[in-house]
Amino acid sequence: MESTLQETPQPGASGATIITASGLTKIYGEGEAEVRALDGVDVSFNKGVYTSIMGPSGSGKSTLMHILAGLDTPTTGSVEVEGTEITGLDDGDLTRLRRDKLGFVFQFFNLLPVLSAEENIVLPLSIAGRKPEQDWVDELISRVGLQDRRGHRPSELSGGQQQRVAVARALVTRPTVLFADEPTGNLDSKASHDVLELLRGSVDDYGQTVIMVTHEPDSAAIGDRLIALRDGKLVHDAPPVSADAVIELLKTLA
Amino acid sequence: MLSLTFKNLWARKWRSLMTAIAVIFGIALVAGTYVLTDTTNGAFNDIFVGANENTDVAITSKQQVAQEDGSNPAFSASVLKKVRTVDGVRLASGDIFSQGAILDADGDSTGGGFAPQFIASSSPEELESVEYVKGRKARGADESALDEAAAERSGLDLGDTILLVGTGKARPFTLVGLTRLGGASFGGTSIAQVTLPVAQQLTGEQGRFDQITIAADDGVSPEELRDRIRDVVPADLLVETGAENADRQASEIRDNLSFLSIALLAFAAISLFVGSFVIFNVFSITVAQRTREFGMLRTLGAGRSQILRTVLVEGLLIGLFASFVGILVGIGLAQGLSALLSAVGAELPSKTLVIATRTIVVSLVIGVGVTLVASLLPALRATRVPPIAALSETLVAKSNSRVWLRGLISGLLAVIGLALIASVLISGTDGGTGAARIGGGAIAVVIAISIFSPQLVRPMASVIGAPLQRLGLTGKLARENSQRNPSRTAVTSAALMIGLALVTFVTIFASGLNSSVTDVIDSNLKGEIILQGPGGFNPIPPEAAELASSIPGVEAASGIRFSNVKVTGAGGRSLSSVQPESVNQVIELEWQEGSAEDLTRLSGQEAVVSAGLADAAGLSVGDSLEVLSKTGKTVELTTTGVLASGNLEFLGDIIVSQQEMERDFGVDVDFFALVRTNPGLEVGEVQQRIDDAFQKPFPTVDVLNQQELKDNQRQQINTLLAMIYVLLALAVVVSLVGIVVTLILSIYERTRELGMLRSIGMSRRQVRRMIRYEAVITAVLGAIAGLILGVIFAFLIGIPLEGDGFALSYPVPVLATIVVITAFAGVLAAIYPARKASKLDVLEAVSYE
Ligand SMILES: Nc1ncnc2c1ncn2[C@@H]1O[C@H](COP(=O)(O)OP(=O)(O)OP(=O)(O)O)[C@@H](O)[C@H]1O
Ligand SMILES: [Mg+2]
Repeated sequence: MESTLQETPQPGASGATIITASGLTKIYGEGEAEVRALDGVDVSFNKGVYTSIMGPSGSGKSTLMHILAGLDTPTTGSVEVEGTEITGLDDGDLTRLRRDKLGFVFQFFNLLPVLSAEENIVLPLSIAGRKPEQDWVDELISRVGLQDRRGHRPSELSGGQQQRVAVARALVTRPTVLFADEPTGNLDSKASHDVLELLRGSVDDYGQTVIMVTHEPDSAAIGDRLIALRDGKLVHDAPPVSADAVIELLKTLA
Repeated sequence: MLSLTFKNLWARKWRSLMTAIAVIFGIALVAGTYVLTDTTNGAFNDIFVGANENTDVAITSKQQVAQEDGSNPAFSASVLKKVRTVDGVRLASGDIFSQGAILDADGDSTGGGFAPQFIASSSPEELESVEYVKGRKARGADESALDEAAAERSGLDLGDTILLVGTGKARPFTLVGLTRLGGASFGGTSIAQVTLPVAQQLTGEQGRFDQITIAADDGVSPEELRDRIRDVVPADLLVETGAENADRQASEIRDNLSFLSIALLAFAAISLFVGSFVIFNVFSITVAQRTREFGMLRTLGAGRSQILRTVLVEGLLIGLFASFVGILVGIGLAQGLSALLSAVGAELPSKTLVIATRTIVVSLVIGVGVTLVASLLPALRATRVPPIAALSETLVAKSNSRVWLRGLISGLLAVIGLALIASVLISGTDGGTGAARIGGGAIAVVIAISIFSPQLVRPMASVIGAPLQRLGLTGKLARENSQRNPSRTAVTSAALMIGLALVTFVTIFASGLNSSVTDVIDSNLKGEIILQGPGGFNPIPPEAAELASSIPGVEAASGIRFSNVKVTGAGGRSLSSVQPESVNQVIELEWQEGSAEDLTRLSGQEAVVSAGLADAAGLSVGDSLEVLSKTGKTVELTTTGVLASGNLEFLGDIIVSQQEMERDFGVDVDFFALVRTNPGLEVGEVQQRIDDAFQKPFPTVDVLNQQELKDNQRQQINTLLAMIYVLLALAVVVSLVGIVVTLILSIYERTRELGMLRSIGMSRRQVRRMIRYEAVITAVLGAIAGLILGVIFAFLIGIPLEGDGFALSYPVPVLATIVVITAFAGVLAAIYPARKASKLDVLEAVSYE
């Protein structure tokens, strides 16, 4: 975790591999109703890389992300996070993994309404029973542009502000990987841009690793790497060239 | 994390407060009961300690068989002579202290309602326990002293006349002194003190004492003197030091009062049980509503135990808060209860409220315990929320596929519960264990029903809601809403069901008791007029019946007496005595063996027994039975007849002659007397004649006709019933609070949906009506379930009583009224939630996240 801060990896370049998934399948239902949400996916992720995952609705993006994050288990296949096999871990180990190594940003901001912005940001530390480093928290807050909003409740913040709080919350533990599932799905273009900039900045400035599911070509273009799924299969894996190129790619998938 | 819990609680403070109410009521009753009984016991303790202040040793008789009035038999005055010969006795005095009546010159009681009144002898100054605040002690045969409080109540002062009634005619006395006992209040109790010979005459104890009090010589310890005296007096007498005597009397009072605290605690338990349903529901709903929040906390790395802890700590805090408030309310309640008791004439002695550590600790433990237990299941459910729940866009309500498991568990519980109840009914276990088993069984059955009831909610709610549906869209929606979360509706109604089952049960029972008593009066009493003591439970002088029989128009007047005895092989029983020559003119009994003639022929050491006793002891005509009297005498009686069952055993289990009662059982006063009037005469006229004739000599005797007797009995039953209703109301109110909270929570959950309905044109009125109907459906659901359950329980428990002539009766109009009142209570419960729902801002509701 600390190492991600010290090194300054180049965008697109591959640092050490931190997640390796192989032979992932996920099957829902049986017989007639069988759905192959994932159908033999092999993929790995390197440190300090911003990866976008795209694909038509129902192609398995969310499923893949859930499995990579240990929120769901694959029907077959394995996932290793920093050399540790996570499929088959018990609840306690998974909890520790999430607490220490993973960060999440959701489409629905999922802030606690009873806590202020700042309290929401340090919540993962409170859960872990750790003391927040005030410098780091201050830096994050100013980075997400909420210096004059830190005491506000979520209900007093706009959607974009709430999502920025959520991003800061995901970064506060300096996770090994930050997962984001359609983080801009509920935001307008300006707010979306701010959130994406934040994620981008965390990769550039702190060497954060980000894996993000998105539907928007503009969002996908901001990453270092673009993965596309169709019918549960990995069909594209390359650095994005431009938003227009992404649109072209999507057309071929649909 | 802890501060998060606090913030959550604070954010949901109204909800938390409502949840707390579910516990506060019960805890208030627990704390109130303890404070009240501790205070009363403490006051009695002060009284007895004060009364024995100057007494080193006290001699009383031992009670061989506990009597209804708790009195001890008097013993021979010859003991005093022996005591005076004992070395170390400086002073010994024989005393009388017996129940009687104290009236003012007009014949009105000076007492406070039900509180007992005593006639006592005054003692030598040195042994006297009271202090004279005014005047002096009685010296002449027509002088009396009275306690200050009673004098004040009746506006009496020195020189005024009072009437004292013991076992004979009322006698006038001149008031020469006003007394007070230490600093303690007697409660409503009053004491008149006269000279010893007068006291003995008044109470019919010539040549006997109720107690001997002794002062020791200097240098002789009370214990030593007690042991010396013990050696010379008969073994059946109780010799104690003054302190021991005070302790024993205080603890006897404590035991006598313990039924009160047990009864109150039982109602507290009911209220807490109902409260636990409400808490369970609130926590379940809250947990369901926070599913995504818990999922999110889990993705942030919170462990299961952390989730469990947040929910349980909330329970703990609510429990602590509720207990503290409950204790405070309870202390107020104790004050209120004792005020209430004195208002109905059962004033208890009082001093400053005693708030024992035990009261606080027990209340806290129970309050916190109930809350924690009720929130445990929802808390465990919260731990099962997977992290992925944070990402799901809709809250997936888990379909309950484990219907068979519910069925199995509730079936098992129901069988265990019914078996427990049946075991008591069949084996006839009574007392504490019996009651505990019936209670436990009932709890098991209620939980069984609540577990299974979600399955019943759908069909029941659709039937109950059918008439509402005809009222239009709002009715239809209300009906659907009440079914959409069956387990929520089920638990809410189950809470109400408990209270209503009990209300139904006692209503049916009281109605059965009323009609059974009326039946007995109609079929067993030939005497048209009854003579009874004040309140119907104090004895009357035997001369009253004598005087009545001499009045023109009276064909016969016959007194009946009672005493508790022990029958060898059949335990404690009630024994009565009749006047053989006249009894058959005033009562009519059904016989299993023998006939009414056998009563006329009853002579010494002969007895007629009830079917119940005959069964239990295997008796039939000619058999003998061994009976222990309250004076410790063992009497051999020969059975000359057996009564049929179904007489409600209003004459007890054994009937002997009046002579036998006086000789062997030491009862010389009638408990009531029955009067038969000459045929052809107006009963009312004869009643008036008796009343007039009694005015002077027997002012305390009530002269009632049969209708008045029935009314009197009914009134007693109804007073008790009213008190039970009030205490059950506590549980019902708690369950109504449950309806309110559940509705508020459901509305909160449906904010978006309500906003949508409003945005497409539903009016505020319609929203209110919809919520109201939903509450009514839930309330009626609980009422009907409670009604059914109450009827079943009453029916089951009524079975073994049938043999005793007790028949249940089902007061259908009353029960129907209960359902209607409950429906109305549902409307009341919906007022606040409905208003809240109708005030929702449409825009906010639609954009609500
Ligand atoms: N719990 C489930 N039970 C059954 N099928 C499921 C379940 N979850 C997902 N699926 C199916 O798996 C497939 C992949 O779903 P997934 O949520 O991964 O799609 P997605 O690519 O994230 O789509 P979208 O862009 O719409 O979010 C879909 O066909 C979906 O219907
Ligand atoms: Mg998705």
